Amino acid sequence: MTGDTPGAEAILELDDVTVTFTAGPPLRRIRLDAMRHVSLSVAKGETLGLVGESGSGKTTTSRVALGLHRPTSGAVRFDGRPFPRRRRELAGRMQAVLQHPHWSLNPRMRVGQSVAEPLAVLGRPVGDLVTEMLGHVGLEESFAARYPHELSGGQRQRVSIARALVTRPDFIVFDEAVSALDVSVQVQILNLVKDLQAEYGFSALFISHDLGAVRYVADRIAVMRSGEVVETADTATFYTAPAHEYSQRLLEAL
Amino acid sequence: MKRLDRLSLGGLACLLVLVVFALGSLAGAGGDPDAIVGPRLRPPGPGWWLGTDNLGRSMLPRVMEGVGTTLLLSSIAVLVTAAVSATFGIIAGYRGGYLNELVMRLVEVLYSFPAIVLAILVAAVLGPGQVAALASIVLATIPLMTRLVRAAAVAVSQRDYVTSAVISGARLPRVLGRHVLPNVAGTIAVQGTYALSVGIAVEGGLSFLGFGVQPPQASLGVLIQRGGTYMIAAPWLILGPGVVLVVAILAINVVGDGLRDQLEPRETRSLT
Ligand SMILES: Nc1ncnc2c1ncn2[C@@H]1O[C@H](COP(=O)(O)OP(=O)(O)OP(=O)(O)O)[C@@H](O)[C@H]1O
Ligand SMILES: [Mg+2]
Repeated sequence: MTGDTPGAEAILELDDVTVTFTAGPPLRRIRLDAMRHVSLSVAKGETLGLVGESGSGKTTTSRVALGLHRPTSGAVRFDGRPFPRRRRELAGRMQAVLQHPHWSLNPRMRVGQSVAEPLAVLGRPVGDLVTEMLGHVGLEESFAARYPHELSGGQRQRVSIARALVTRPDFIVFDEAVSALDVSVQVQILNLVKDLQAEYGFSALFISHDLGAVRYVADRIAVMRSGEVVETADTATFYTAPAHEYSQRLLEAL
Repeated sequence: MKRLDRLSLGGLACLLVLVVFALGSLAGAGGDPDAIVGPRLRPPGPGWWLGTDNLGRSMLPRVMEGVGTTLLLSSIAVLVTAAVSATFGIIAGYRGGYLNELVMRLVEVLYSFPAIVLAILVAAVLGPGQVAALASIVLATIPLMTRLVRAAAVAVSQRDYVTSAVISGARLPRVLGRHVLPNVAGTIAVQGTYALSVGIAVEGGLSFLGFGVQPPQASLGVLIQRGGTYMIAAPWLILGPGVVLVVAILAINVVGDGLRDQLEPRETRSLT
């Protein structure tokens, strides 16, 4: 079955979530289930790795988890409560580090403005937080005045992480956050994520098609295939003795 | 920031000269456009460097005034177009759905009329004059600008920084104002220059037909229309304003190309 960790308090729970997209003209409308009866939970302080091939529904799952997409059926709970109708009520408590380093930062905003934005949105004072956050992700203070095109891909993802952390969220989604980076830079960023998690204690949903990267950061792994979660297991168990035939195939390909 | 290339700089210089020309006319340089200074229909010579018209007025101040009228009218119209197209293009592109459908259908209907037909219809409704010319330019340039701004806004809306802002709880005005607008501004600027040249052409055409700017006020269209009457006897009457019109349109397009080369690669860079 899908994996609830009994005992541990969950920050995020998806309960029997289905998302159906419709496309095409009326009458010949195509229906596609991007998520089918997905149940997942992320415990406080835990990192859940979500793997699966392209199109399996990982990003859709993250969009539902972030409240960007309302499920067609099923329930989402954040910190034990049903998702509020207005997702702004949860602003600052959940953040995301997204896929593409090139588009993760607004090219017309200075790095410092980007990092400060989540605070500005909430009307919170910025103070020295930008400098502090940049320091935490290993960037000097001077980066605040730069524009994204003056940064490398790895530096940009560090800035994205700083921006995600600035409101001290309970929950962060990493959607293919390191996939576009060089392997050596990937390792640096993954280490950074682990260190910051130890310090800040946020929970994370770490999405990737790269099983190696997920293994590095995740406490548990969920495997998706065509919209369904086919297996959930502890990382150690998953990589040594995958239960589902599809997981075995994924691991063999590694 | 990269600099404009030489050709565009040349275009920009031409435009500046025309603007100085137009401003000079306001300051009275070149003489009184309405004063009769000599015999009628004289070829260019001392005292009347672009010749005299059928009333004996010097063409030089008249062309200067005409350039000013045409540029001012077109520029105001393009600013209106830019404001309207940016608003609707950005909202339609970001929001999608029914609003998007509605805006795009309206724009398509407008687009299906040739500019000059549209202009004549407008003149018929509003009556000939500057307001009709202005409205015509706006209606003629809105469709293309709105479409292109919308297309750019659709692309920008899907970028991760917009999603991140929404996740952070940013409200619509912030998302559109801070994230979408600045990243489609390049498209607006480039299309604005092209729209300006369309505007000059529409003003010329409409005034030429007698539906736009009304004499005695001079505009390039008015002067060309008047000049056409004496094309054989006094070709300089049409040559002066005609050349200025062509130069203005060429210069603006060249500047537009330069702006596009400078701004758009960044706007439309593919996801590599
Ligand atoms: N807005 C949408 N409209 C229609 N179909 C969609 C939409 N978003 C996603 N889909 C479809 O839902 C399915 C799951 O997409 P999703 O982006 O969640 O996959 P993914 O696992 O994140 O893939 P990848 O690894 O390529 O990022 C795909 O078949 C996709 O085409
Ligand atoms: Mg995805």
